[in-house]
Amino acid sequence: MDLRNVVYVTEPSYPGALEPERRAVIESLGVRLNLLEWGDPHASPVVLTHGMWDHARSYAVFAPLLAAHFRVIAIDARGHGDSAWAGGYSWLVDVGDVINVLRWVGRPSHLVGHSKGGGQATDAARAVPELVAKLVNIDGFGPPSLDDPRPVPVRFAEFLERQRTQRHSWRPYRSLDELVERRRAQNPRLSPEWLRYLAFHAARQDHDGWRWKADPIMAQGFGPWRPEWIGPSYGTLRVPMLAITGSEPDTWGPLPEAILAERLRHVARLERRTIPGAGHFVHIERPRETARLVLDFLRS
Amino acid sequence: MRITHGRITLELHELARRGGLPLLLLHSLCGSSADWGEAPATWPGPVFALDFAGHGHSDWVVGGAYYPEMLAGDADAALAHIGNAAVAGAGVGAYAALLLAGARSTAVPAALLLPGAGLAGGGPQPDHGREFPEFILVARRPGVADTDLMVRTLERDVRPVDYAEGFARAAERILLLEDGEPRPPWWEATRRSPVAESITADLPSALTRLHATAHLRSTVTDY
Repeated sequence: MDLRNVVYVTEPSYPGALEPERRAVIESLGVRLNLLEWGDPHASPVVLTHGMWDHARSYAVFAPLLAAHFRVIAIDARGHGDSAWAGGYSWLVDVGDVINVLRWVGRPSHLVGHSKGGGQATDAARAVPELVAKLVNIDGFGPPSLDDPRPVPVRFAEFLERQRTQRHSWRPYRSLDELVERRRAQNPRLSPEWLRYLAFHAARQDHDGWRWKADPIMAQGFGPWRPEWIGPSYGTLRVPMLAITGSEPDTWGPLPEAILAERLRHVARLERRTIPGAGHFVHIERPRETARLVLDFLRS
Repeated sequence: MRITHGRITLELHELARRGGLPLLLLHSLCGSSADWGEAPATWPGPVFALDFAGHGHSDWVVGGAYYPEMLAGDADAALAHIGNAAVAGAGVGAYAALLLAGARSTAVPAALLLPGAGLAGGGPQPDHGREFPEFILVARRPGVADTDLMVRTLERDVRPVDYAEGFARAAERILLLEDGEPRPPWWEATRRSPVAESITADLPSALTRLHATAHLRSTVTDY
């Protein structure tokens, strides 16, 4: 390799995005999890879980705003950020990781999750209500429907074919700019500086280019799960939930109001808030407004 | 021999090497290829027994993610090595055999489903509030047990009736070994498929029936 052509990029900054004050590494079900912390270690804890392909640093603006009042712990989910890759992935073990972080914290925590992390935070709160005080779910209410009309065995045969041919690592991108562009496709409303910060922490620079840190096999999976199970599962939630959504159509949502309302009607203690102008990545697009809503809810 | 499925290396035991239609054996939950004993000795073709991930001499899945479709993927990795084969599975291996037979109907001329550990899974619909077993909180200690404790999550996965029925209808031929004991809803749904047949026999006789059924369904060029 020729190191003369490698341009080393230093960590980008973004106004309001603060370095974590502490870092911890714990083991959950045989996998090393990276945790980032902000705020007084003796304050009441708030645990943050991010969405698919994201990372704990996506809370770098939001978390410090909560840290004035709380000890904030953001998880890099397994296969993401600086947590280790696993041999395979499933919803159940992801929820197990959230539960193990709550157990590691050792006292009842508030739980805030976005997207897939919001769904898993909700399941963790259902599984161990004794460890969760209040729950905030940011647009993590599942997909609207499974829209592939083909028979299940045909789709499963395709899954098996993919398993035989799947790549287990990423090809490198030439520059950080290419990663920034890919992230922009998902987050069209973010500033170039914020996108660059998020892409930088989602990737690492190797001698031959940039690779995502997230495990490419994570999107694999197959099972009988169906969205109609989500609403009834909320019926066993015993802690209060603040449900936050944006107003703007986006790659991942928001859900049609009728579907969302049908699911949320099962939640016994529910508050709902919408942040106008935000898309699916509510806390990334509007960290200050989101933090204000969350602080009001957690401190009431 | 060692074969790979994704990041996992599996042990596929070659129990008999001879010409003819191959047989692939899939063990039950917390079992291993050693469970089959002498029963496959009379199979008139090559015989392979797989250790599922987390079991026997196969790797454990780092991080503990096990689900039936992944076990069926283990079996599919064995098929990739063996070629077309009749499949016999017990317990959770029977459910994996059903999924494989439905998705790979051209490669699996017939499947034999047998009772055993892990047959029922978590039932036909989610049991909200009971999906998360206590033991997923236990730190794992690789090396102190033959079987990964996390495979016991396969006692909780949902096996809907219409899901199973879809696979049962897509398969070539399915034989269900009945013994008068109650069977889980997914098994009863499989029984309703036009390609399914219930039989009552000991294991060697059931394998003889499997061979006869599979042989009718495959041509010489298949293997």
